[in-house]
Amino acid sequence: MMKKRIREGIGLTALNIFFIVLCFVTLIPILYAVSVSLNGQNSLLSSDFSFIPHDFTLRNYKEVLFGENILTWFQNTVFLAVVTVFLSLLFAVPAAYCFSRRRFPGRKMILKCLVLLNSFPAILSMFAIYRLLRPMGLINHRVGLILVYTGTMAVFSLWNTKGYFDTIPTEIEEAARMDGASDIQVVWKIVLPLAKPSIITTALQVLIYVWNEYIYATTFMTGESKYTLAAGLNSLQATEMTGSWPVFAAASITVSIPVLIIFFLCQKYMTSGLTAGGVKG
Amino acid sequence: MKNRRKDTLISYAWSGPSLILIALMVVFPILYTAYISLTNMNVYHWFDFTIIGLDNYFRALFVFDSGFLSALLATTLWTVVNMIFQLVIAFTLVSLLNVRKVKLRRLYKTLLMFPWAMPGYVSILLWKTGMFNTQFGLLNQWMEKLGHEAVRWLSSDVSAFLCCTVVNLWLALPFMIMIMDGAMQSIDRSYFESAVLDGATWLERTRYITIPAITPIIAPAVIITVFTTFKQFDVVYLLTQQAGAKTGSGFHTILTYAYENAFITNNYGYSSAISMIIFILLLVFSARYQMREEGDR
Amino acid sequence: MKRLLSAFLCVCLLLCLTACGEKALDPAEASKLVIWHDKEDAVVAALEDYLAAAVPELQIAFEKKTSLTDSLKLVGNDPSAAPDLFIFAHDKIGVFAEMGILAPIEPLLEEGALVNFLPMTLDAATYKDTLYQLPLYFETLLFMYNRRYMQDEEVPATTDALLTYMENNTGRGRFGFVEQHSTAYYSAAWIHGFGGSIIDDSGVPFPDSQAVRDALNYHARFVALMPGETEYNTVNTLFLEGKADATIGGPWMVPSARAAQIDLGFAPMPAVDATGKALAPYSGVQGIHVLKFAAEAKTDAVRKLLSALTDSAIGIELALASGCAPANALSYEDERVANDELVQSMRTTAEIAVPMPNIPEMDVMWTVVGNLLTDVNLSGKDIDESFTAALAQANQLIGAMK
Repeated sequence: MMKKRIREGIGLTALNIFFIVLCFVTLIPILYAVSVSLNGQNSLLSSDFSFIPHDFTLRNYKEVLFGENILTWFQNTVFLAVVTVFLSLLFAVPAAYCFSRRRFPGRKMILKCLVLLNSFPAILSMFAIYRLLRPMGLINHRVGLILVYTGTMAVFSLWNTKGYFDTIPTEIEEAARMDGASDIQVVWKIVLPLAKPSIITTALQVLIYVWNEYIYATTFMTGESKYTLAAGLNSLQATEMTGSWPVFAAASITVSIPVLIIFFLCQKYMTSGLTAGGVKG
Repeated sequence: MKNRRKDTLISYAWSGPSLILIALMVVFPILYTAYISLTNMNVYHWFDFTIIGLDNYFRALFVFDSGFLSALLATTLWTVVNMIFQLVIAFTLVSLLNVRKVKLRRLYKTLLMFPWAMPGYVSILLWKTGMFNTQFGLLNQWMEKLGHEAVRWLSSDVSAFLCCTVVNLWLALPFMIMIMDGAMQSIDRSYFESAVLDGATWLERTRYITIPAITPIIAPAVIITVFTTFKQFDVVYLLTQQAGAKTGSGFHTILTYAYENAFITNNYGYSSAISMIIFILLLVFSARYQMREEGDR
Repeated sequence: MKRLLSAFLCVCLLLCLTACGEKALDPAEASKLVIWHDKEDAVVAALEDYLAAAVPELQIAFEKKTSLTDSLKLVGNDPSAAPDLFIFAHDKIGVFAEMGILAPIEPLLEEGALVNFLPMTLDAATYKDTLYQLPLYFETLLFMYNRRYMQDEEVPATTDALLTYMENNTGRGRFGFVEQHSTAYYSAAWIHGFGGSIIDDSGVPFPDSQAVRDALNYHARFVALMPGETEYNTVNTLFLEGKADATIGGPWMVPSARAAQIDLGFAPMPAVDATGKALAPYSGVQGIHVLKFAAEAKTDAVRKLLSALTDSAIGIELALASGCAPANALSYEDERVANDELVQSMRTTAEIAVPMPNIPEMDVMWTVVGNLLTDVNLSGKDIDESFTAALAQANQLIGAMK
């Protein structure tokens, strides 16, 4: 018994060391950015680089937080992200449930088409979407971006949630229906709690897409007050002619932190109701 | 009969909003590109273009030369290599993360998500200048400390391919880990417990419980990742092929190849025709694959 | 059913596009001008301050647009989304003029407003005999050196002397001279020095192919003495850390060099021994472009703005604010401008510099020449074979533009 416990302890320590090393290795490029962002000199490169900067300063972060419009950009992004995530789920969940549970003409064909749509190289889609949004007056308008983002992520959201719904046994739903529950009640009270992990992964993927997307945001939105974080970050990017690498690095780190916090908080809810319940199917 | 029609209507009503959005933002651009590919929209007829038929397609065939074929092969290899590594690494890590007694798993998972939380172009830039740069990159600074010669990481085809793979894995693994982790959470613990009681080893449990249970859940995400990997542009372009900062490697994916040989011409009709041909090519690829899949079952 | 419906919807939207008419202009709107740019803050601040004083009756908004050219391709003829004017380098004039979104500048100017402008800047801004840009300032590459390592009397006057200097001063992590040797914009100077060019006015690529091959051949000897990878971060860092004695760089490098406390010297471009011609870099003329609809709907406001910008005072402001070399020759009469070493060096270099071609065909040549240089300098491929391949690619791409 003792021996087993010791062996387990060693295994666990080894595993922890493994993960600590892995996290460190993964984070090297990011630590590089952190070091650049804390450095007083305007350079992305240096011949004697160290993770602890020689010329330590928090000036760049101060500039990011107070000098740029980062709070406006943050508000814009949060607004876009919240609405887009909400709409994506609102549209995807009923559709996914339909495709998972109901049988109707056209179902198979649509599902197959959804897969095949991914084959299109969307590198030239910008024009089409511009032509679509312009008559609706949605260029340079948040609603336009929300439409673009929700639409772009719709295939993934629908399909990913549908994949998970397929694995949920139908017995509980049938039991609930016998008790007189309506479709909406079944989805809301039974399917959604069971599908929590997939709902959260879908939501996170949509959130991160919105958080990091800058091509549509910079092309369709004009004026710095309308930028999202990613678009603003892009405009801070140092080029050959202008800009400051340390400020850009500081902004990149700052922009990623909220996503990580959200991710950390979400994990608590990532477990499915299935493990807690006694469904064995 | 009436009931069935009502049923169908309800189904479409539920899925309608989602399908309409997809039609607008995904299908419409495809149709529009198809339409433009039939016109002479280029610098000289930017706003007053007219339909010229299939001319663009005939001319586009010139782009599909030996260079394109080797790019197509490289892209296929790239997709296979990347997908295998992604699935194996993600699966291993998620399995280890789900060992019951790892207390800090939330912290580990969060830190491993960091690459995903940054816009891709920022991360790629960090890799290119911070890691791979010949003069000042960290890799070469370490090489020098170990007494080796500086290496030009991105200059030859093979090493550029490997470096791009590393960066792509770094960017894509967080998503795969999250999807697999979510899927893993759905497996009923009691299965494992009874399997352990029956004396099943870890390998057997993985083989007979975990993999069959998560496959249907991760399938959509995996298939979508296969497509995005095949259509990869940013990683390869920004690391090795960016105009003004080329590194000398000849590794191209079909999209970077098409970009350099068509998209830069500002001839939108012609570029659209090339997009459509790549689209059809991929369609045929994936349709054949799908049929094989169904045949297997 | 639904799919049919959505297809129908798409068709409707397409029809909407063509039906969308233009709105009539509100008189109060006529004095509002939106200007897109992608310039540094100091330049824009100087312009804003100057215009606020010079034309207070206009409401001018400068908007920074990172993807300026791509955005203009989308919205160029859409008054609801496009700016009225934009500031950009002259090399995209051909593309935008052919697209039909640019207004000719001369009808919007007073008679004789351009007499004092440097001819090089006006040439650069002219496409098919029409002036499409009002030049504000220009940039050329400069030969810069670090006085700590390269003494004034050591500065090479010819390329052979430069090569000898490099041979004697390169090694152990130090470089006698560095430049972005595999970038079209930088290497054009060498091609010009051999009497060649990347593309001629009629859109023929590499009109003098022997000159290009000679340049590549000769240039390769220099490349061998420079680091393999030379994108701008590497070159800048080498020079700014004092690891390279000399470089060819743009004026944008000067502020960071001064911040790094480098004792910076400027010298004329060395001459190629074989031809006697100096390395002649490309010059970029930054100026203001007027969109067609703005020229029609807001003629008065645009005229006032352009008239204010032809004054030599704005050139002085820009030179003082950010070391820009003014397009208006009168600006150089100001004593402070005359004493600015950087501005004067650019003016001297401007006499030999070649304005970047502004024809649409040039757009693809950047990539073609970049590939050619990469093949020769970085992949070590044969010059003649690479050149033949590049010429074929150039012809194929130029053919594909139409």
